[in-house]
Amino acid sequence: MDARTHEPARAALHAMVSAPAHRLRAAARRQRMPWRVPLVMLPILLTLVAAVAGGLLRAGVALPGDELLLGRAALEHAALMIGAFLGSVVAIERAVALKHRAAFLGPLASIAAGFALLLGQSALGAGLLLAAALGFVVASAAVLRRQRAPHTALLLLAALCWLAGNAAFALGIGGEPVFAAWFAFLVMTIAAERLEMARLMRQRRSAQLALFAILGVLVGGAALCAVRPAVGGLLYGAALLALAVWLGRHDIARRTVHAHGLSRYMAVCLLSGYAWLGVAGLAWAATALGWPARDAALHALGLGFIVAMMMAHAPVILPAVARLKLRFGNVFYLPLLLLQASLVMRLGAGATDPAWRGAGAVLNAAALALFLLVVAGSALAWRHQQRSSLSLHQEALR
Amino acid sequence: MNEATPPNDAAPARPAFPYEGDAALRAPIEAALTRVVDPEVAMSIVDVGLVYGVRVADGRVHVRMTMTSAACPVTDMILEEVETELDRALPESLLIEVELVWEPPWTPERMSPRAQRFMQW
Repeated sequence: MDARTHEPARAALHAMVSAPAHRLRAAARRQRMPWRVPLVMLPILLTLVAAVAGGLLRAGVALPGDELLLGRAALEHAALMIGAFLGSVVAIERAVALKHRAAFLGPLASIAAGFALLLGQSALGAGLLLAAALGFVVASAAVLRRQRAPHTALLLLAALCWLAGNAAFALGIGGEPVFAAWFAFLVMTIAAERLEMARLMRQRRSAQLALFAILGVLVGGAALCAVRPAVGGLLYGAALLALAVWLGRHDIARRTVHAHGLSRYMAVCLLSGYAWLGVAGLAWAATALGWPARDAALHALGLGFIVAMMMAHAPVILPAVARLKLRFGNVFYLPLLLLQASLVMRLGAGATDPAWRGAGAVLNAAALALFLLVVAGSALAWRHQQRSSLSLHQEALR
Repeated sequence: MNEATPPNDAAPARPAFPYEGDAALRAPIEAALTRVVDPEVAMSIVDVGLVYGVRVADGRVHVRMTMTSAACPVTDMILEEVETELDRALPESLLIEVELVWEPPWTPERMSPRAQRFMQW
């Protein structure tokens, strides 16, 4: 066996953007991971825990602990989940892609916003979220400048949706207009990334135009939510449903689900997410028409679609942004399965029975906790595997 | 090939990138690069057409490659994997250089024929 497997024996150089050969070393230095990104993972996880605790309280589940803190977590559940947690994660991903230190200021602001909100500093928290979104818009514009393509343009548009939502939040506007803008930010970010991947499938130009039209209706619906809630909500729901159909038709997951291992797992997560995106679209439209489907509108989207996307990509994103390498195994399917079952319980039986809704919410949280445990276990498994193969190398060298 | 099988477990069917230099190193380099798989698409970077060219000269292996998206946070991981695989496959005396370029932009036509088959072109 080769003794160099784990420790490359020679200098390996990266260069950015067609750097001439004599600049390779300088470019390699510039490209290294800025700061210690893994250090921000702990506060991000704390914002997730607070957001989940707040969500459980909102679903009628009693929790032990500091009542004031829990009350604030419940009040700011959406801002914590979408702004402080998911917003920070997405902004760190963008900053890692951009490889510019200044791009990390945005996610630092959104993490700080989570703590400010939990400490009752609402104005400071909202201001920090606004600053984070501004930073994210600048970072997304820089990505667009580097690569002028439809998907990078959509990423910038998504960032602008976050900015609009955070501006409305800072102005004290609550409810659907803010939620619609915040979810548009996440949905459009995902759609942009899937469009980029969909280029691997043969597709007509009309398919791309259809996606732009759908996302246009989504943004229009979100904007209308502030002035004509019924029309806005209806359009927003229709756009989500149409997007689910588009993704189900054009996404590479349709092909990669026939692959093996991690690729298949990712595809299964994605396809399950698209089904819940469709449910969310129907529920959003139903809510706009006055039907009691608000929990399904928000959580089929937030948990069924967005958390499934997170579960799909964590095994490839965590090594990149947190330097946490994972050993994939079929155990990753367990939290996904629990998420599906708990959503059926919460949004199915729970639609009419608060007890089922609460039990479903507890199992939603359990699915997230199980996912974190599986990630931690697979990180340990990777290390164990590395250590075992390293000792084999050393034995072979003796 | 079965259309449902991802094309990531063998060498590509045709030369997938321009190569200059020692002919004896061509096969190990191509095999090393083919072992770098993007799990999102279930294909190797060679099959996706991300490798623009390899030049072996003056004690250096120079790889020019791209990504499908400038917003991809996994870029560094893929570049590291390319370095690791080349490091395993090549003599220690060779310096490895992996250059990330954005020009010309990647297009789907760069995919290998079997990658296109896998994606049902």
